[in-house]
Amino acid sequence: MRITINKLTVQYTEEDHSLLALDRVDLTLAPGRITALVGESGSGKTTLGKAIMGLLPDNATVQGEILLDQDNLLDFDEARMNPVRWGTVAMVFQNGAANLNPVHRLKHQVAEPLIQRGTPKKEALALAETRLTAMGLAPELANRYPHELSGGQVQRGLLAMGLILDPPVLILDEPTAALDAVTKSFVARVIQDCRAQNRSVLLITHDLDLAGALADEIAVLYLGQVMEYLPGRHLMERPAHPYTLALARAFPTMDAVRDLGGIRGDAFYRMVHAHAAENGAAHVHTHVAAPDAYHEGGHAPPEGCLFKPRCTQAVPACALGQVEMEITPDGDHRVRCIRGGIAKILEFEQVAKSYGPVTALHPTNLTLMAGEVFCLVGETGSGKTTLAMIAAGALSPDQGTRTLQGRDMDGWMKKDPASLASCIGIIYQNPAESVSHRLTVFEIVAEPLRIHNTVTDEAALKDRVCAALSDVRLSTSPEFLKRYPHELNMGAIQRVCLARALVHEPDLLIADEPTSALDPSVQAKVLKMLLNLQIEKGLTLLFVTHNIGLARKVADRIGVMQGGRIIESGPAARIIHHPDHDYTRTLIRSARGVNPSRPAVSSPQ
Amino acid sequence: MHLDARRRILTDPWFLTGAALLGLLVCLAVFGPVLMPWDPHDTSFTPLDPPSARHWLGINDGGMDIFAELLSGLRNTLIFGVTAATAGLVLGAVTGLFAAWKGGWTDQVLMRLADIVLAVPSVMILILLAAFLRPPPWVLALTLAALTWPTTARGIRAQALTLKHRLHIQAARHMGGSARYIIFRHLMPELFPLYLINFAAKLRMAVFMEASLAFLGLFDPSQKSLGLMISFALKYYYMDIWINWLIPPVLLLSFLIMGTTFVTISLERVFDPRLKTAL
Repeated sequence: MRITINKLTVQYTEEDHSLLALDRVDLTLAPGRITALVGESGSGKTTLGKAIMGLLPDNATVQGEILLDQDNLLDFDEARMNPVRWGTVAMVFQNGAANLNPVHRLKHQVAEPLIQRGTPKKEALALAETRLTAMGLAPELANRYPHELSGGQVQRGLLAMGLILDPPVLILDEPTAALDAVTKSFVARVIQDCRAQNRSVLLITHDLDLAGALADEIAVLYLGQVMEYLPGRHLMERPAHPYTLALARAFPTMDAVRDLGGIRGDAFYRMVHAHAAENGAAHVHTHVAAPDAYHEGGHAPPEGCLFKPRCTQAVPACALGQVEMEITPDGDHRVRCIRGGIAKILEFEQVAKSYGPVTALHPTNLTLMAGEVFCLVGETGSGKTTLAMIAAGALSPDQGTRTLQGRDMDGWMKKDPASLASCIGIIYQNPAESVSHRLTVFEIVAEPLRIHNTVTDEAALKDRVCAALSDVRLSTSPEFLKRYPHELNMGAIQRVCLARALVHEPDLLIADEPTSALDPSVQAKVLKMLLNLQIEKGLTLLFVTHNIGLARKVADRIGVMQGGRIIESGPAARIIHHPDHDYTRTLIRSARGVNPSRPAVSSPQ
Repeated sequence: MHLDARRRILTDPWFLTGAALLGLLVCLAVFGPVLMPWDPHDTSFTPLDPPSARHWLGINDGGMDIFAELLSGLRNTLIFGVTAATAGLVLGAVTGLFAAWKGGWTDQVLMRLADIVLAVPSVMILILLAAFLRPPPWVLALTLAALTWPTTARGIRAQALTLKHRLHIQAARHMGGSARYIIFRHLMPELFPLYLINFAAKLRMAVFMEASLAFLGLFDPSQKSLGLMISFALKYYYMDIWINWLIPPVLLLSFLIMGTTFVTISLERVFDPRLKTAL
């Protein structure tokens, strides 16, 4: 049986305000397909499951329709709904044992729906026992009380209970939360079996690994709105919405090589308020229950994109109008984003550069998406720095076009080189050389602002500089501001450089071997900070390094360069675990310090 | 780095000695004529009077107070030197910076011009100019500057060229800094030590040149200057009067040249990258 959800809106009314749990959600559960619903806590995932089951509390107001084949479940009264529940649509609730009655044995609770529907008790109990055995619970376990069972055993019991009536539609709410890996893979197998048995499965989870592996389609929910629909296999590798990317980046998997990154800011739920506005009239508006820096006064954007305050690629236009679902150019995804999903920050098309007879860079294509970290890896002389400096606008290519934020860089540079430069921040290999020894810390960090005349007022300038310095965890005391570079250690200078690169909030940050002059412990600190900043500020980072081991910890995507060409590029996990090119394999092997041709060799410097 | 330089300069005995000498002379030149009761042009005293309590260095052949003349001459000599040095420095620094920044064709033309000017014997030009046109001293000072800028221009250009490719200047360019910004904010201040060195060197040369021209009698005799005093005093070398008339201007001139030389030596040792040994 098929369930079609159209424009489902759910509001929970509480005294003087209401919570907007779901906002015009469309979703289809089709037989033989697994649909996954992912999103942070409070995004409305469970509300959707409960809405299908008709289990919403009394204070919920529901609009839209939930069609079970042709019939709208929302029109059903309790009498009509009861046979649908469990018989047609079953749900495996979250929180394990809390759903079970502590004074009844597990077997009895599993058999209960059968008994209620008139199956003789003995037969029902026998079937329940068979089902529980199939779920890997031995008969003596089936006879226990819920509190005598482990979390994994309870989950198996709940699955058996959900499937006891062979419902055509199964809703699983966080079936793998708090489970160990072995039980988790068992649950995954059960879910796959459900697909094989032609059931329509709705998998509500924040386990992206599970969703990505099992689901045919994934809906990504944010504050009650679906942000993206995408095929499951694309979740980790090719998300199209910035929110999906951020979720994927925050999730630990065995494959992920980059360190985890959170999503900036917090959001819990939306409240619809009606209170007097300034002009005295009652005025309905939406709140986001997370009064933090990203939501001014706890107010959700009155219109425009809900995710905008936390989005890393937001533009002013994001705050305007309704954002509708759009199909991405490749046709596989639907995203709610006026920029058509994750934007391209930098695009190279056939860009090449030679110095006389030496070709430093063969014609190269490269695309950097907003908010990603792209690592260029390769040995010295492979053209990494040339490529990075062309991207930075510090070098001009001999041929090809380069586009930054959709604008042709060469034309831009001719017209207004300063504004182009203000979109790009650069960190250099040698921090001590890249700052003037005559300038104090304050003057160094203030320099870009002075060049671009962004801040004219000296007090505001000081605020910006101090903000940038505290971003990089440096002191903002007057004494420190008056320090000269030679009074600081390398790590501190590089952080000053980072503050300088970030002070005018560039879209693209280019880091050319930013940590190669630092010792490992300082390098680790600086990198951690850089990645945190990358997430907080939503920076797109082009990171150049010769050290693939380092790239592995930093990159979302890696491009391997050799002899002026990018010979291989792709998601970091794939490049590290399944490199296509021999040279990449050599790089990885030498980084591991094991080179088959020579017994022991250190990584190339 | 530059703080170290400051510390090194301030503890260098050469610099301290030179600066003390110069400071003393400058004070004499600035305040001396004001405090002096006699007008150096007043000819109402008894000519060739020996030193007395009223006239410390006596009276010259024209009936003027020698001490008053000495202070006034020191002032004029210093004004001449500072004018010539400043003009030469500005001309040289601007040319050098401009050539280094523009590079290519502009650089070539300016540097060849500098070579040509360097080949011209400046003493001869000045002697001829002073002898035939009798110009006021400031014209001579500016002419001297016009003949001595190439050494400064070359030094500044060389240093600016290497600076231009230093990473922090490149970084400022990458940040979007305009040529104007980088020249004024980075290159010019960075070259500051070179200005000092060149200024001191040019001051020394100009003072010496002024004395020479005056000594040769190619200066307006109604002016007061250390060189002219030496030139006049020498006429009476057979009389006792040379002790109070000839020695003071010679000493002052020597101290002036010594002071600037000491300061130059010290500045060069600390700042000039060519003389810098491995630190």
